Amino acid sequence: MARDSAVPTENFEEILAWLNPDREVAATMYVQLRHDLAKTFTFRGCADPEGLTDEVFDRVGKKVLEVRPTYVGDPRLYFRAVANNLIKEDLKRAKTQVSLEEPELREPTTTESDEDNAEDMEECLRSCLQKLSAENRKLIVEYFAKEKQAKIDHRSELAKQFGISVENLRVKVYRIRVSLQGCIERCLKGKVQQK
Amino acid sequence: MKEDSVTDALLREFLLGKLADADRERMEGLFLTDSATRERVLALEQDLIDDYLEDSLNQEDKERFLSRYAQTDEQRRKLRITGAIKDWAVREARAPHPAAPTVSVWSRIWTWLRLKPRFVVPIAITIVIAIVLAIGSLNSREEQRKHLATEQELAQLNSPASLREVPPQITPFDLRPVSVRSGQPQTELKIPVEISFIELRLPWIQNERYSMYQAEVLRVGDREAFTIPNLQAESNGRYTIRLRLPAQMLIRGDYQINLTGLSTDGSAKSSEEYSFVVIN
Repeated sequence: MARDSAVPTENFEEILAWLNPDREVAATMYVQLRHDLAKTFTFRGCADPEGLTDEVFDRVGKKVLEVRPTYVGDPRLYFRAVANNLIKEDLKRAKTQVSLEEPELREPTTTESDEDNAEDMEECLRSCLQKLSAENRKLIVEYFAKEKQAKIDHRSELAKQFGISVENLRVKVYRIRVSLQGCIERCLKGKVQQK
Repeated sequence: MKEDSVTDALLREFLLGKLADADRERMEGLFLTDSATRERVLALEQDLIDDYLEDSLNQEDKERFLSRYAQTDEQRRKLRITGAIKDWAVREARAPHPAAPTVSVWSRIWTWLRLKPRFVVPIAITIVIAIVLAIGSLNSREEQRKHLATEQELAQLNSPASLREVPPQITPFDLRPVSVRSGQPQTELKIPVEISFIELRLPWIQNERYSMYQAEVLRVGDREAFTIPNLQAESNGRYTIRLRLPAQMLIRGDYQINLTGLSTDGSAKSSEEYSFVVIN
């Protein structure tokens, strides 16, 4: 998506102050809001979640000085409203464009480049697994021990062992996975930079 | 829609873009403002990715999934990472020892032995021999250490400075060289309990005199002999070498002392033998 300007520093500071009076907390909220808005665009099936997120922040940045004094409520909902308008515009634009054929939904395939990275992936995976505690490694293995239908009963049993609900078990595993995935991503990026 | 009414099924529909507008908007609001809902959504998104990787989604859900989570390079990379983690975990879960990194060396050896029973007896014998040798070696080292400590103590006790002092709990005994004792009985030592040291007076009857002597004390039947170097002779009427021993090292039995005269270059020249019996 084409964007015409960056947010002026003054307005950016205003956005931070609006999110939270404590600048450090506000900075953390800002990063998370960017991530979550991009996710929201993903859930809606938008083609360019990152670009649309940038556009939301540009638009809010331009209006923040006039909106903030009168806005009542959680500022993140204002961002969501702007995102919603953007999606509607996106859909309207898509409808006006004549498509000669249905967009092709391609399944991810293993490309030559992926094959090249398989070794790096394995190496990064091994390295990052070593950084997990033995307990967390074991939990990941247990969580994936069964597939398809069998996994429902298995995860229910596993949650009972921990004395938590299946939902909380999923969140517990999610936190480990986020840490592991983040480590692998950083490791892979490092390998690309080395080459 | 309240937060507690958010079910997994509803979240799944949200993730696949199947919710009606009102529910979807509410869910988006909760996702952005409620941290617990946010984590649940993101955790369920991971499970959805797992289902796709397992090929468990029906055709419609698969298409919805692909249109949302497998279009950009970034999304495809994340799918590959998730797939790699999942593949590893499945392999580990199916392996005989899922917690391989924490399995001990002994467990691995035990497993290997169970697979190859013909090696058990030879390996067991080897292990027993190794243990015996190791214990023997340790004992030997300990004995060696004690032996050296005793010799150091004897050397200290018989240094010229120590010999000039006369401690109260010391008893002297005169011995005669075996060569001149002929048919006379061995000197018997009965060491009183309150005595800490004994002082043996060893006459040197040979004409040749030496600046330095060395004594070797041996309890007959024992393999262990203690060497006391740097002894000097005294000639107060008789040419005698004094040798002090701690009473505690003298247990009942026959003892033998070999006294050797050393030349100035340290080489042994001639020696005399003495013996005594401790009877208490």
